[in-house]
Amino acid sequence: MTDRRNWAGLALAAPALSIVAVFFVAPLLMSAVLAFRGTDGGLTFAHFAKAFEYYSTDLWFSAWIVTLSTLAIGVVAIAIAGYLTLGEHPRTVAILRWLYRWPLFIPFIVTAQVMRTFLAKNGMLNHVLIGSGLIEPLQAQSLLDWRGIVIAFVWKQAPFVTLLLAGAMAAIDRQHIEAARNLGANRWRVLFGIVLPQARRTLMVGLVLSFVSMLSVLSVPMMINPNSPTMLTVDIAYRINSHGDYAVANALCLMSLVLASFGAWFYLREAAAKKAEPK
Amino acid sequence: MTTPSPAPESAPYLHADAVSVSYGATQVLDRVSLSVARGELVALLGSSGCGKTTLLRAIAGFVAPTAGRIVVDGRDITRLAPEARGTAMMFQSYALWPHMDVAANIGYGLRMRGRPRDAIAKRVDEMLKLLQLEGYGPRPISALSGGQKQRVAMGRALAVDPSVLLLDEPMSNLDYRVRLELRHELRALQQRVGIPAIYVTHDREEALTLADRIAVIDAGRIAQLGTPDEVFHHPVSPFVAGFMGADNAIDVVRTGDAWAWTPAAHGAPRARAHFRADRARLAAPGTPAGQGTVAVDGTVGQRVYLGTVYRYRIHAGADDFWVEDAERRDEGAPVRVLVPPDGLLVFPEAA
Repeated sequence: MTDRRNWAGLALAAPALSIVAVFFVAPLLMSAVLAFRGTDGGLTFAHFAKAFEYYSTDLWFSAWIVTLSTLAIGVVAIAIAGYLTLGEHPRTVAILRWLYRWPLFIPFIVTAQVMRTFLAKNGMLNHVLIGSGLIEPLQAQSLLDWRGIVIAFVWKQAPFVTLLLAGAMAAIDRQHIEAARNLGANRWRVLFGIVLPQARRTLMVGLVLSFVSMLSVLSVPMMINPNSPTMLTVDIAYRINSHGDYAVANALCLMSLVLASFGAWFYLREAAAKKAEPK
Repeated sequence: MTTPSPAPESAPYLHADAVSVSYGATQVLDRVSLSVARGELVALLGSSGCGKTTLLRAIAGFVAPTAGRIVVDGRDITRLAPEARGTAMMFQSYALWPHMDVAANIGYGLRMRGRPRDAIAKRVDEMLKLLQLEGYGPRPISALSGGQKQRVAMGRALAVDPSVLLLDEPMSNLDYRVRLELRHELRALQQRVGIPAIYVTHDREEALTLADRIAVIDAGRIAQLGTPDEVFHHPVSPFVAGFMGADNAIDVVRTGDAWAWTPAAHGAPRARAHFRADRARLAAPGTPAGQGTVAVDGTVGQRVYLGTVYRYRIHAGADDFWVEDAERRDEGAPVRVLVPPDGLLVFPEAA
């Protein structure tokens, strides 16, 4: 009886499962397998050795850029979402609410292009800084290195995390905020003591999703900072396009996957904690 | 419209002076003045949307008055931020923070005041004892019952020794029996601590049992301010009479030195008389009315059993009202309703 019901359930899920297996699991496994297969068809770590030899700096560079960007995105998202939740000037809040979402609709590659003209040595940022007398013309420098990548990532991803976080904050009972202010908490303390702890899970999820998607962006490092050290995505594209070297590219992909799996581990841990939480 | 009411025993500690509040074009409070003495509990009683909660929120600092002043202990707090006012509010939803345990919730206000850790722990223990919640300090909020949450919310408000306690329908989420019990506890506690308190409620019984004085609020104004006895027995307007339970109304005319019922169809009514369902009695048709007693002839409509008595809907001419009577009567039976003179609250008909 139970057996039959199990089989029926499996049959219902089978089409979906087979799609997942054929289009997601199989290519992933293939890529992993090819990363370990030598030209003679045997098991080898040569591709990894080569990947490490050529690209270990880029591996750390990628991890550093994405981690730094994630932290900066967190700070920006908390600031904006916090102001949207606790701001007392309705007009400023309305303008900010309207403004902050725009980058959500701009693709990474357009972001990168915008940043190139904005951050270059004779770009708009330096023009403004020189024009307002904040820096001397000789001090002007290009930000089109790791800093440019971080700025582009934060600009593009912060609105996404803000969107999630502001939603979670708006879902908190207003009386929770009023009760705290009533007992003497100013808005900073309300933000960090009352609002953020209750929206923490959503913030973590948003940051993890950003972390993983930034890890896979090719266009931004390619356009802002394609020279070494750069991000793994650029190296993967280079191995394939210039050398047809799928083996090393697969090894680099696996390295990316390991980095991303840190995020996934965090995400799953939070999800499990949320499930265990009493309602 | 306000009536003279006995002056509070000591000078007012909290004074709201002609406070008006508008949300956009809607005026929610219209020049409301209210004084609360030290240790006094004033109930703001009214139906939803009348502005009672808005007055409370204006005192707490969550809405800015468009006009008027709020003074606490000689200090004008009208323009202060909520966190600078030293009031403590209890919310309808309790608003306990789920990410903190009971002790952290109660100690929060003290933490905001920068008290040392051991002083906070001591005060939290005091509060837990006072509220009969000893040993509950480390519990999560989600593990508490409704009544316990209410007590923790009370403890959180009282822990900071607030200048004024503001209570926004704190019992409305509780079961009836828990509410009865906590009502008396709350009153005893407030008197023991001696804090002036303002209690917002739409529950007449709650206001009568808890308050030293009641302010009945209607459409953004205080309709009547007085002791429970005054407001209950001597309402100044049909609205207050109706809100305090005298919601039966009939048209009467003056005949000699007494009032007589007049079916509205027969000429212009001169006044409107209110009475409570339990102050009238039912008698056989034709029963002579005593001196001053108003007799109304009608028929029995709907019958509701209340346990000790029946509650009857009486149709009399254009008037419909409820009367309580111990005797079981059948629907459609003719009946005479007798309202004694001391049960009548007569108001001149508004032009």
